[in-house]
Amino acid sequence: MLGGTFHAAVLFLVAAGLQLVFGVQRILNLACGSFYALGAYLGVSAVTWALGAGLPAPLFVVVLIAAGLALAAIGPPVERILRTIYDRDESFQLLLTFALVLMFEDVIRFVWGTAPHQLGSVYLVYGQLRIGGSTVPVYNLVVIAAGGSIALGMGWLLTRTRFGRIVRATAENREMSEALGVDMTRVYRRVFTLGVALGTVGGALVIPATAATSEMGIELIVEAFAVVVIGGLGSMRGAAAGALIVGLLKAGAIAVWPEVEMLAVYVVVIAVLVLRPAGLFARAAA
Amino acid sequence: MSLLQARDVRMFYGTFCALDGVSLSIEAGQFVSIIGPNGAGKTTLVNVLTGLLAPTSGSVRFKGVDVAGLGPGRLARLGMARSFQLVSVFPALTVGETLAVPIVSRRRHGARLFAALAGDRATWDEVAETAALFGLADKLARPARTLPQGDKKLLDVASAFALRPEVILMDEPTSGVSTSDKHAIMETLVGAAARMGIQAIIQVEHDMDIVFGYSDRIVALHQGRVLADATPDAVRADERLIDTVVGRSYSSGAGRPW
Amino acid sequence: MARTAGGLAALAVLAAPWVAPPYHLTLLLPAFAYGIVLLGLNLLFGTTGLLSFGHALFVALGAYTAAALTTGLGVLHLEAILAAAAGAAALVAVPLGLLCVRYVKIYFGMLTLAFGMLFYSFLYKFYTLTGGDEGIRVLRPLLLGRAFGDLGKVEFLIGPFYYYALALLAVATLVMWRVVRSPFGLCLRAIRENPDKAAAVGVSVRRYRFYAFVIAAVFGAVGGALLAVPTGLADPLLAYWTHSGNLVFMLLLGGFDHFLGPLVGALVFILLQDTVMSLTAYWRFVFGAILAVVVIFFPRGLLGLLDPRAGRSA
Repeated sequence: MLGGTFHAAVLFLVAAGLQLVFGVQRILNLACGSFYALGAYLGVSAVTWALGAGLPAPLFVVVLIAAGLALAAIGPPVERILRTIYDRDESFQLLLTFALVLMFEDVIRFVWGTAPHQLGSVYLVYGQLRIGGSTVPVYNLVVIAAGGSIALGMGWLLTRTRFGRIVRATAENREMSEALGVDMTRVYRRVFTLGVALGTVGGALVIPATAATSEMGIELIVEAFAVVVIGGLGSMRGAAAGALIVGLLKAGAIAVWPEVEMLAVYVVVIAVLVLRPAGLFARAAA
Repeated sequence: MSLLQARDVRMFYGTFCALDGVSLSIEAGQFVSIIGPNGAGKTTLVNVLTGLLAPTSGSVRFKGVDVAGLGPGRLARLGMARSFQLVSVFPALTVGETLAVPIVSRRRHGARLFAALAGDRATWDEVAETAALFGLADKLARPARTLPQGDKKLLDVASAFALRPEVILMDEPTSGVSTSDKHAIMETLVGAAARMGIQAIIQVEHDMDIVFGYSDRIVALHQGRVLADATPDAVRADERLIDTVVGRSYSSGAGRPW
Repeated sequence: MARTAGGLAALAVLAAPWVAPPYHLTLLLPAFAYGIVLLGLNLLFGTTGLLSFGHALFVALGAYTAAALTTGLGVLHLEAILAAAAGAAALVAVPLGLLCVRYVKIYFGMLTLAFGMLFYSFLYKFYTLTGGDEGIRVLRPLLLGRAFGDLGKVEFLIGPFYYYALALLAVATLVMWRVVRSPFGLCLRAIRENPDKAAAVGVSVRRYRFYAFVIAAVFGAVGGALLAVPTGLADPLLAYWTHSGNLVFMLLLGGFDHFLGPLVGALVFILLQDTVMSLTAYWRFVFGAILAVVVIFFPRGLLGLLDPRAGRSA
């Protein structure tokens, strides 16, 4: 179950990024999985290099986060590309982000090849704990804590800072914000970059527990969509709840019937879409 | 039996009462205007009359059938159609195609998957006929989005008329149209209605010239209640009524543009 | 001008087996199959305005039906296989469609994506039934009852099968043409343009969307079965969401608001894919870039470029 929460924490990061971008810019970004994968691959490379250069093992998590944040630099140029179709039909937006997925897939292939990249067991440097009969790496707890604090941080950002207020206002009413003098271009660029950062950091953080593979981005997209659907489009709290549900579900399914792991997620997504298409917390219209 | 009968309709949105015991009876041959200040409940009433909203209590029956929740399709087949305040078109469809859609649906040809529409003489003749009644005959091949606003409005209303309903409900048919065009449009609508066999017209309208010029019956709504249901002359004579509904004194002959 | 171009293209395609090298002919086969699939998908997307990110489900369904019939049941008549594929598609599309058409836009896209991936997972995991990631073989079928046993695999494919597939494509095109030009087709376009107004003038929006969904599914499965014959294999990747994405890519490439857009898109995509794949291992990057350019600058696709008409047709 704790494994589920770990996965949920990572999933939350990505889903939060997705929610943020959707809430403000009304774009559902299929490429969020690609950012996740990029974070993972770069995380592996960065930590491997850092450890080789003499970094003390316990600091590897800092390198991971730094790698994730550094990747956020691809945010502005990608946003610039997406900006060209903001006002077009959503089908085109989906297709453009799909094009980005294809391109990023090959970028990863080009830089890192097709074999999975792993970080080995450096994360065990934090030790392990026995909780309720199972052994849990402390690292996982660290990530869960990180996920939780980022969630709180996002909440604070959105409710207590000027930037956050602007973001929420724009999400509610774009025209009004524009009329009130908000610089849309900058807001969009920042929001998008923040969204990217959440994805890349999430990907980097998950690395110690899994391997960076060429499928991970694509697998994540569907999971992230499931989270967004369950939690509702445009809601940060929904992202948290949805991530938790999906994470736990997946862990539960793997424990009970390993075959249906991926299947379970889709069944849940479908069930939610059917029963409550607006999700549990949605504010945005369908 | 009256065509359209509303009995003691009450509509609550939470605790807010939008309609408070409205009763109305529409017969064939009538042109009824529903007037009232903003917030009086006119649009709510129209939505209830057309079954879009189910009343909290009371009933609306069209030809004896309860309309609540029927949906525009079934309602159209029963014989009632509606046009909306905001102009709504099929942007990429031509005028001809736009008019063909309601005709096709009326004739129940919509499920014909393999019949060639182009060869359906009867439908296209009717399209041409309807277009002519609305002054759109020379624009049949133009995509709807290229039409000027007034023509779009006519097309929008024409597509409701093309359902050949017995009763048509128009929500502000001359809104968004310049004053000089309003009468032209009303003449067109009334003429088309007569030629297409429409038996009763109900309109929600703000322009008092139009209301007095064309209705034979006026229903005045105020705060969810029917304040008056009478002939234009009777309404015009009631100064206090006019004041409540229109907010100013209206003497016949004043402010007519033609 | 469009007519002569079309006529020339038809002539070229008919004469190809006599003049073109076998390699290119075998390339045309998936193009024909995808043409059929895309005709169906465009009824859903171009005509009705519903973007499905899970249509590959039906393509895979068709392929696996072919595999199940030939390998599993020993049924080799292609006509029977195609009919079974159509039937299987209808069977699956009815409940799926009833569910999915209650939602629109993003929700429709996500729901179809989820179902597509659900099918993929099912194909992948339940290997005792579906062969898992290895898939199931599709044996060479009988065309109109004839085995052509004396022909080698390639000769069979570029000879009798080529013309069979082409004929099937022609039939599919004609059928879809009739559908699009029918009163039903007009209602679909009205639904695309303005669903609320369509409902207001008496069109059963949900029901017609459902019909379009099922028709698209049937075309998808027939195309899928046809696709599996040259490759000889039905494998789970056929249902993967990126395959669905590629289908839409092809539509966009050809031009989704032209009737023949799907055919042009299928052909160009296949030829382009072949060319690019032979030039670089990073063909996905190139394709992603092409798609991005098309979406941003040429959303009406190739036929949209060639045809100066400002409005949309069927």
